[in-house]
Amino acid sequence: MNCEHKPTPPLWVQKLLQYRLPTGLSEEVQGDLDELFDLWVEEMGVPKARWRYIRQALGFLRPLPERKDYYMPTRGNMPPPLLTTYSSINQIGMLRNYIRFAWRNLAGNKVFSAINILGLALGIATCLTVALLVIHEESYDSYHSKRERIFRVEGRNVREGHTYPGNYTGLVHALRNDIPEIEVVVPMYKRGGVTIQEPISGKLFKEPVVFAGNELFRTFDYTWIAGNPKTGLSQPNTIVVTRSQAEKIFGTTQVLGKILQYDSKHNLMIVGIVEDYPVTTSFPFDMLISFASISEIMPDFDLNKWNGWGDDFQIFALLKESVDPQQVSRHFPGIITKYMGKEAVAEKQFLLAPLHELHYTSSFSGHTANPTFLKTLFWIGIFVLCIACINFINLTTTQAIKRAKEIGVRKAVGSNRLALIYQFLIETALIAGIAILFAIPIVYGLLPLINSILGVRLSITDLFSWQTGTIVSCLFVATVLLAGAYPAFYLSAMAPIWALRSNNKTITNRGFTLRQGLVIAQFTVSLVLISCTLLIRQQLSFFQNADLGFNKNAILTVGLPDNSPAKLQLLRTRLLQSAQIKNVSFSFNSASAESNWMQMMEYRLKDTVVRIKTQMKMVDANYIDTYGIQLLKGEVFREGDTLPKVIANEIFLHRMGIQRPQDAIGQVAFYGDGQESVPIIGVVKDFHVNSLHQNIDPTLMMVVPKHFYQGSIKLQSEQLSSQSIKETLAYIEKIWTATFPNQLFEYKFLDDTLSQAYQNEIRTEQMIEVSTFLAIVIACLGLFGLTLFTTQSRIKEIGIRKVLGATVSSIVVLLSRDFVKLVAIALCIATPIAWYMMSQWLQSFAFKITIVWWVFVVAGGGILIITLITVSFQAIKAALTNPVKSLRTE
Amino acid sequence: MNRDYLGEFEELILLTVAFMDGAAYGAAIHQDIRQRTGRSVQLSAVHIALYRLEEKKLVTSEIGGATAQRGGRRKRFFTITHEGRHILSEIRQVREQLWQLIPKMI
Repeated sequence: MNCEHKPTPPLWVQKLLQYRLPTGLSEEVQGDLDELFDLWVEEMGVPKARWRYIRQALGFLRPLPERKDYYMPTRGNMPPPLLTTYSSINQIGMLRNYIRFAWRNLAGNKVFSAINILGLALGIATCLTVALLVIHEESYDSYHSKRERIFRVEGRNVREGHTYPGNYTGLVHALRNDIPEIEVVVPMYKRGGVTIQEPISGKLFKEPVVFAGNELFRTFDYTWIAGNPKTGLSQPNTIVVTRSQAEKIFGTTQVLGKILQYDSKHNLMIVGIVEDYPVTTSFPFDMLISFASISEIMPDFDLNKWNGWGDDFQIFALLKESVDPQQVSRHFPGIITKYMGKEAVAEKQFLLAPLHELHYTSSFSGHTANPTFLKTLFWIGIFVLCIACINFINLTTTQAIKRAKEIGVRKAVGSNRLALIYQFLIETALIAGIAILFAIPIVYGLLPLINSILGVRLSITDLFSWQTGTIVSCLFVATVLLAGAYPAFYLSAMAPIWALRSNNKTITNRGFTLRQGLVIAQFTVSLVLISCTLLIRQQLSFFQNADLGFNKNAILTVGLPDNSPAKLQLLRTRLLQSAQIKNVSFSFNSASAESNWMQMMEYRLKDTVVRIKTQMKMVDANYIDTYGIQLLKGEVFREGDTLPKVIANEIFLHRMGIQRPQDAIGQVAFYGDGQESVPIIGVVKDFHVNSLHQNIDPTLMMVVPKHFYQGSIKLQSEQLSSQSIKETLAYIEKIWTATFPNQLFEYKFLDDTLSQAYQNEIRTEQMIEVSTFLAIVIACLGLFGLTLFTTQSRIKEIGIRKVLGATVSSIVVLLSRDFVKLVAIALCIATPIAWYMMSQWLQSFAFKITIVWWVFVVAGGGILIITLITVSFQAIKAALTNPVKSLRTE
Repeated sequence: MNRDYLGEFEELILLTVAFMDGAAYGAAIHQDIRQRTGRSVQLSAVHIALYRLEEKKLVTSEIGGATAQRGGRRKRFFTITHEGRHILSEIRQVREQLWQLIPKMI
């Protein structure tokens, strides 16, 4: 044999031909092709010959004419193969036949088809909605071309185990000078509710603004309409606005070089107009003021501060190409030692958070995605789809008897099992396809609801994207397999003799236990969802009604553009002239607020120093009274106090190691490098300075008028009519605008602001409520179908029972009893699952409800009632039928 | 005249089979047509035409012996039948009559 290296035609084509061609034909055809291939190789070289070989071979994929000797064994005495006898034309014919039968079945069984299609449509719609949501949340900040290299430098407090998005202002210089691996450092300082005036028209706008330098444009992607990205925001007193902001203020984007006034005093020149940011951004900034302007606008702002930070000052870093974040992190302990001292290393850490994680922790956009929430939604979507698929399985298998004749005939005529499975899967695919056609408008209808519940902006373009296409196809395949596989195997397994026998009305016990199991599974999912909804509601109402330690009702908060003591005194005096206003107080923030002032305080006990991370409340003399905070010992601040003094809460005392409030009076707390000190003059009962997710911080109240940014106005009565509220608001606005001319008046009710903190929980509750509703609707549809079937198949039995004297009620009980049993079993399974899940969920709150047993009883009772209503509808109808009707024909 | 209709391509193949005189098989016919007419023809078209001619009983076929040349695979040799020859000569007659009728212009 010669083994020289001869060029060969592609192997896969040979395989394909072998598979495709009838046995008799493949030999001569492949022989011809091989012979020609050798010729072509000489003629035009191997690559071209291969290419030609493929083209020629593919020609044989077309339908070939029948030859009488196709199946003649050519070598030895091989029996003719069975499965290869299908030719492609024949298969198309069968496919057409399957679709025709599927269609006839659909049209012939309108109720069952409607239940199946509606159930699957709802299930698929739920899944699709969840998928849209996940895609949306995942796409945040992905439009920045340097996103892989952008990180936020976050500060971690080791003792609390908490990471803050904000950081020290001094860190900016440290990062720039001490870490060579960082290419650009981008500090951003956000201020909300700044009054911006357009000097020519005099129009006022209250807008959030962000201070950032030219580094911003070197790190993040912005599309410029006008202005120079190379120099934009590098000079003080310059501003960049977005297209829609320019149109809002000026009505045009031709605004380069125009002036806007910050707080109606500082002129800012527009040096650039950028395109609007996409919806999926963590940086929704409409007005960017150059970072260098900070020292002009706020001379007090300390740009080299190392002993306190706010979440409104965040630092971003663009790492150099191919720099590992680990390399950068290695510098951080050195920076802490250098700028904060050796002892701070144990307490403070800096971390690099990648850009894509921002959306899941905390960002300037205020819209934070909660991964656990998304995961929960994902599973709920899957479960709802499963419930729909279970409906399909149950209804299809109960229909088996009706299909028995058809299956018997098909088998007798020569259909094999594979072909039958194929047929039933095609039927499922048809139903799933129709369900998807219905699901898409359902999702479209749901989008506004989802947007309003979750505060996202999903649009129709999200619905018709290629990702949605992929997901829909995946859902389609998943549904067909989940719902179709079992019925296909079950139906195709039927013995033809049994199927064709005339008297086969006896129900086999085979599918029955499985069917019960599936119904239990449905009930379990519904019950878990209901119990969770109830418990989350309880926790929410606990949030709303918990005793916060202060009175949040009837308090209005307004901003203070100018906090000079004279102005504030004037405002207060004028406001108090109204009979509706009980008290007015000025402070840094409310008694409970989202953004807080944290500071390290020291308490010296002989030679040991206790360091306490304290929440500082900068308040005036009326604060305690306005908020109704209870004083335990000591005294409150007096109007006109000049010496610094503080009022502490009980937690602060515990950290100091003092048990009795009276012992704390006169003790001294140190701060600011331990140089300054203040005496404690009073102790108040603990009040919730944070949302109920968190524990109460040690808190000190202190009078510092230069940090008053907010006025709190306590109204006289908590139950004001809307008319008198309107009048009071108008009065407050009049006084406020008179005190602060050229400023925009804005107010908020404190209880509204506080409930914002529980937005996430409210969203979870609403989403679970919607999906619980969907799950129950789908489960009820299935139950309805099942009862319809059982009553139909027992119609003779019911007739005989009635003839023999059974009452209507006894027959209803007979038909419903089975389902009640199933609900009871489901309740036993669902209760521990729901209990476990909810206790996990409640872990995230410092203040929470305890889970009580009756919630599960209520859930079970609810499901039972819904079940009975669904079942009895059919049962009563069956029980009322005249037995003569059902027994007349045999 | 109720004989089968013969397409142009089929006629070409039938003629090739005729002149090859028992040595005609798929690859050879394919190659010959390509060289003679310059047309690039699908091998599958050649095969299908051959099978169709066989169905019309204008050619017969038999499997030849194995050779080392094409991976040991055997060829199917086609031979023209009496009917085949008959149909070709009929076509030729018709053509020739028609040629006679054309005024001498070429």
